[in-house]
Amino acid sequence: MLKILIPTLFLLPTTWLTSSKWLWPTALTQSMLIALGSITWLNNTTDTGWTALNSYIGTDPLSTPLLVLSCWLLPLMLLASQNHLSSEPMNRQRMYITLLATLQLFLILAFGATEMIMFYVMFEATLIPTLLVITRWGNQTERLNAGTYFLFYTLAGSLPLLVALLMLQNNTGTLSLLIIPYAKPLLLMPFGSKIWWAACMIAFLVKMPLYGMHLWLPKAHVEAPVAGSMVLAAVLLKLGGYGMMRLMIVLDPLSKEMVYPFIVLALWGVIMTGSICLRQTDLKSLIAYSSVSHMGLVAGGILIQTPWGFTGALILMIAHGLASSALFCLANTNYERTHSRTMLLARGLQIALPLMTTWWFIASLANLALPPLPNLMGELMILTSLFNWSAWTLILTGIGTLITAAYSLYMFLMSQRGPLPQHMLALPPSYTREHLLMALHLIPLLLIILKPTLLWGWFAC
Amino acid sequence: MADYREAPLATRPKTLDPNEYFNLSPDYRRAEAERAALRAGLKRQYQLQLNNPHRKELIEDPALNRWVYARANPYNHFKATKKTSLLGALFGVAPLFILYYVFKTDRVRSFNWMCAGLWVC
Repeated sequence: MLKILIPTLFLLPTTWLTSSKWLWPTALTQSMLIALGSITWLNNTTDTGWTALNSYIGTDPLSTPLLVLSCWLLPLMLLASQNHLSSEPMNRQRMYITLLATLQLFLILAFGATEMIMFYVMFEATLIPTLLVITRWGNQTERLNAGTYFLFYTLAGSLPLLVALLMLQNNTGTLSLLIIPYAKPLLLMPFGSKIWWAACMIAFLVKMPLYGMHLWLPKAHVEAPVAGSMVLAAVLLKLGGYGMMRLMIVLDPLSKEMVYPFIVLALWGVIMTGSICLRQTDLKSLIAYSSVSHMGLVAGGILIQTPWGFTGALILMIAHGLASSALFCLANTNYERTHSRTMLLARGLQIALPLMTTWWFIASLANLALPPLPNLMGELMILTSLFNWSAWTLILTGIGTLITAAYSLYMFLMSQRGPLPQHMLALPPSYTREHLLMALHLIPLLLIILKPTLLWGWFAC
Repeated sequence: MADYREAPLATRPKTLDPNEYFNLSPDYRRAEAERAALRAGLKRQYQLQLNNPHRKELIEDPALNRWVYARANPYNHFKATKKTSLLGALFGVAPLFILYYVFKTDRVRSFNWMCAGLWVC
């Protein structure tokens, strides 16, 4: 674990001490080496499952895919941000890279934490660099509103979590993730137990986000610069899923009754946000609502607490992280050329930028869960485990899958096919950097097809 | 007539066609000519921007900006009328209760069947 933590920590002095000519290549190389080193975590050698274990941090088959995803994303974020930051003063560029690197550090510590309070502190700590990135480097005036929504929704949801964790610590004496699966269930008064259950889950449900509490997400995703959107969609939403998966073990007997409203909200949210996607005019807003839709399925898969549900949720989280981040990068390539997110303005790009169309095509197919991509595998596992939970969910998830396919194809056809606007003059051809960025997103997604057991969590053995 | 002068071979719009004049009032003719002049000015601005060799950015369309803003900010102008309340209740509130009821009864029934040994897996 220190092999990855120390280089990430030392990315901070690196950004401040390298000369301006070598800043971006150095930061990219160092973060790429960290990412390649983090892939070694996928080798879970121990029988108990917890590898790289010490008193504070450790990895297990649940956290390893998410750790590798967050390490993989840092070089991609740097690649994507290079263009729009090149016009800023050097100190601001260094500050931006510093914020992304500290975010990475907090994420690694959050996913690797074995103690729930450490996870909680890191969960909150990731809010700060993200807030700074959104409010300072966002492009429209709405970014302040977006930052406020983002910060206060998550904070309001997670304050009850702190109280709940402290109560758990008082009762069981420990909050170590290795021990609490075996601890006695919490004995409170009936209504108190329900409040405690809700307090544990609300923070993660707001972060996921669940349909009723999702208002922060379209604002934050749309107003953030590209690296902010990438890290939000790919990793920060998964912090919510990861936290839920960890805490569900402790909440067990209560969950049978308490999950119903949240599963209902999650599944209805899949359909509602999918329908909203069909009516969007703003490209980033469409991708943001599609994230809510996919995360609704993940929430449904986690809340029913079956092995296939958890496995499907984990696979869908990783696959969605890569696909959604790829789509945000593509939307950013449009934005850098037209300085507008309106889909109508950037139509017919297949004629102008045909190679980028290939990436648009693969990313849209990934979003609509085409077999044999892992998006489909995750969705199918969640669908079947939900069907086992109750047969009526199939109606909702089936309609949801249909609407997902509809809006993904709508996004592809709207941006690539059709007539090119006639007043479009200055469309610089696709940079090699952009092609590399898309390749680094989509090639891992295609490689996961060959060995999906890497992502199956605890149930791969 | 206003100062509008069209290109030598251009056709006139129907309302400015001299053959149609005889049944139109002079006020109407003047108003139509002014509107045609405004439209021609807007078209001229667009053509100037379109053919400007030094232009690097998109031509800004204020109507598009207004439309995008309206599509992106519906909540600021939301008003609770009978129709909007009905739609909200129908799509936002009622499905939650209906789905809760459906899932609960289905699960309770299959649990009872499983306990009684009637559930064939």
